[in-house]
Amino acid sequence: MQRVRAIFEKKGRAKYISHLDLNRCMLRTFRRSRLPIWYTEGFNPHPYYSFALALSLGFESSCEILDFNITDDNMSMEEIRDKLNAVMPEGMSIVSVAEQKLKITAIAKAEYSFSLVSDDVQGLYDAVQQLLAQPEINIEKKTKKGIKTVDIKPDMEVLTCEKTDDSVDMRMYLPAGTQTNYNPTLFFEALSRTTDVAFTPEKILRTGILCENNEIFS
Amino acid sequence: MLKDKIEKHLLEVQKPSRYIGGEVGSIIKDKSKVDVRFAFCFPDTYDIGMSHLGMKILYSLTNERENYWCERCFAPGLDFEEIMRANDIPLYALESLDPIKDFDFIGFTMQYELSYTNVLNMLDLAGIPIFAKDRTEELTQIVVAGGPCVCNPEPLADFFDLFILGEGEEVNLELMDLYHEMKQQGAKRIDFLRRAAQIQGIYVPQFYHFSYNEDGTISGVTTTDGAPQTVKKRIIKDMDSVYYPDNFVVPFTEIVHDRVSVEVLRGCIRGCRFCQAGFIYRPFREKSTDTICKETKALCENTGYDEVSLASLSTSDHSDIDPMLTRLIDYTVGERVNLSLPSLRVDNFSEALLNKIKKVRKSGLTFAAEGGTQRLRDVINKNVSEEEIMNTCRIAFEGGYSTVKLYFMMGLPTETDEDIVGIADLAQRIVDLFYSIEDRPKGRGVQVSVSCATFVPKPFTPFQFEPQDTREMIEHKQKLLLDSVKTKKVKVSYHDPNVSMLEVILAKGDRRLCQSIYTAWKKGCKFDSWEEHYKFDKWLEAFAECGIDPSFYANRRFEYDEILPWDHLDYYVTKEFLIRENKTARMSVTTPHCRLKCSACGVSKEIGGPCFAKSKSDI
Repeated sequence: MQRVRAIFEKKGRAKYISHLDLNRCMLRTFRRSRLPIWYTEGFNPHPYYSFALALSLGFESSCEILDFNITDDNMSMEEIRDKLNAVMPEGMSIVSVAEQKLKITAIAKAEYSFSLVSDDVQGLYDAVQQLLAQPEINIEKKTKKGIKTVDIKPDMEVLTCEKTDDSVDMRMYLPAGTQTNYNPTLFFEALSRTTDVAFTPEKILRTGILCENNEIFS
Repeated sequence: MLKDKIEKHLLEVQKPSRYIGGEVGSIIKDKSKVDVRFAFCFPDTYDIGMSHLGMKILYSLTNERENYWCERCFAPGLDFEEIMRANDIPLYALESLDPIKDFDFIGFTMQYELSYTNVLNMLDLAGIPIFAKDRTEELTQIVVAGGPCVCNPEPLADFFDLFILGEGEEVNLELMDLYHEMKQQGAKRIDFLRRAAQIQGIYVPQFYHFSYNEDGTISGVTTTDGAPQTVKKRIIKDMDSVYYPDNFVVPFTEIVHDRVSVEVLRGCIRGCRFCQAGFIYRPFREKSTDTICKETKALCENTGYDEVSLASLSTSDHSDIDPMLTRLIDYTVGERVNLSLPSLRVDNFSEALLNKIKKVRKSGLTFAAEGGTQRLRDVINKNVSEEEIMNTCRIAFEGGYSTVKLYFMMGLPTETDEDIVGIADLAQRIVDLFYSIEDRPKGRGVQVSVSCATFVPKPFTPFQFEPQDTREMIEHKQKLLLDSVKTKKVKVSYHDPNVSMLEVILAKGDRRLCQSIYTAWKKGCKFDSWEEHYKFDKWLEAFAECGIDPSFYANRRFEYDEILPWDHLDYYVTKEFLIRENKTARMSVTTPHCRLKCSACGVSKEIGGPCFAKSKSDI
């Protein structure tokens, strides 16, 4: 049995597929591909596959991770990729397929890029700089136990922040994985609370899933 | 571009993937190479409309023609409708995301009466004039409808350019071919409608004119523009050679029937007197086991669904049911596909097959008993006996089931209080049966759910002449039923009689109702079939403003010799037969099913021979 990790894109219209729907969608994609995917052996056998991280509705990604097992040891990774790509929905495609190396728990952070579109780019840019200069960025996060206030500043790592004609474009690392998960919307909320400048987040794209040492998770 | 406008707001609505297309199996064409564009509209939300088998068939069938493009369109949810109206997003089709007002055909499927206001709302959202008379003289934007409700299309007559009666597989293409030809000749809308009216199955309401008696009944129907005096429905003769899709559009979001659906037969041999489908879809025609298995395999492989259900009015009436299910079960078990078998009678199967079915059947046990006493079941010709119900329940209880669901109707012709008490008694006897069985499931009690709908008399049934019970009568019966149930093991639920009342008015109405439907929609009525959106008071206001007495349609007996609003439409069963059946019903006499004995309903005359070969009539 081969333990396979596929990296796939989810772009364009596919960004409107919710995580729950993605599960069902992938099941049907596997069935269409007729790949010899391993089924669980319980009372109600079902194909075994899992997504490393959920992606928010409306976000695009170039690096989603899908794990599954293939019962045919002689099947090449290229063949698995091609068979899936032949039947994937529009906007979704497998970038690469390889043996699973690391455990899911090794995931520590994710890289996001996005554009904050605004009529007042300079004003927004200044507001972003001001926010980033603060010692703490406190946000209210909904958890299972209720709402709690957390400081996202220590775990947030801004990589770039640039002005364009109509937006402020940013790239940043945010914690992801089994321990802490911060969604870029937390940053948008913090920003909108500190400034009156109106902006709309667009083109939110997850571009990387990484380990603690910033190595690409694989 | 419309797409950008839509996407700008899509994340503000529930289940956005319903509004943007791009599903696996959806068909995209180069519109510069397309001659005729057809927007197939379902007047309810995506989740419901996408489950409709007829749309899947006609969608694929039309798109087989390279130069015709059929696209899907649904009613937006209220949240998205608000956004569309606020941002000038016209109703659009899901494949091209182009506004449907630019299409050649805007075709609605009319599956139930309570979706009529949604049609008006969708036309309005599309920017298409709601009344046919207000549309352009040019040959474009032809608004058409098909489906079971158009067997009496009169309440919708003012809104549609034409109706398609019967099965669409052939006539839809004939209609599009005619359009294509006349479009090239530069013909006008009226020229096209005149020619279309000559095609069998096409009813152009504006060429038919009604006159009325002083008591409000119809005194006559005349035609103009050379339209035929009666319009005959269309059927497909051979179910094995008729087109069936080998692929479906596979939605991202979960829909009501989220599975492969394979049609096994059309029509029904049973002749239950309340059932419109049992008459308007005659004759009975079935697909061969080979065809059914071939279509099942192709659809499972192409869609990736892991569930199949068989679609028909009564699957167990298939003449080859035992071998067919055996082959299907072998295939589905091997492929790890779930097979669901709705509308199945389990009484006449072999032991071996029964065991196989048990393995694939997980759903609960459901009986449509319809009537509480044998007398009433004879009146409605529902040939299910208490003994059969008890036998099947016994088998089910012994096999580990502990819940049973029973469907009944209330307000059936000749019904008395005794019949209502009979419902409670029957449920009680099932409870008693459960506790009399030695190896009943241990640890939990039995649960018998009784679901009571209000009877709605429908056109083209033997009960088309019958009045519906008034609300007072229904409320009395509902109370009586609740009082007759003596145990908590029987749960009773029933429908809102106000909903059933609107249903019968729209089902049996004539074209004087068009204005009321328009007025009700203007007052905010839409999604009438959704309990939370139903506004009965607005409907009553609309009827009052338009001078319509609802009880004229709902609670009045239509006489045998009265001209009915649908008498000029021919669905193969004759009015003489329906009158005969109505009289037989009043004597509590049953009519044998079509395989046992032909009842001369009129269908065999239309198809040029008996529906069943002689040998089968001996079964």
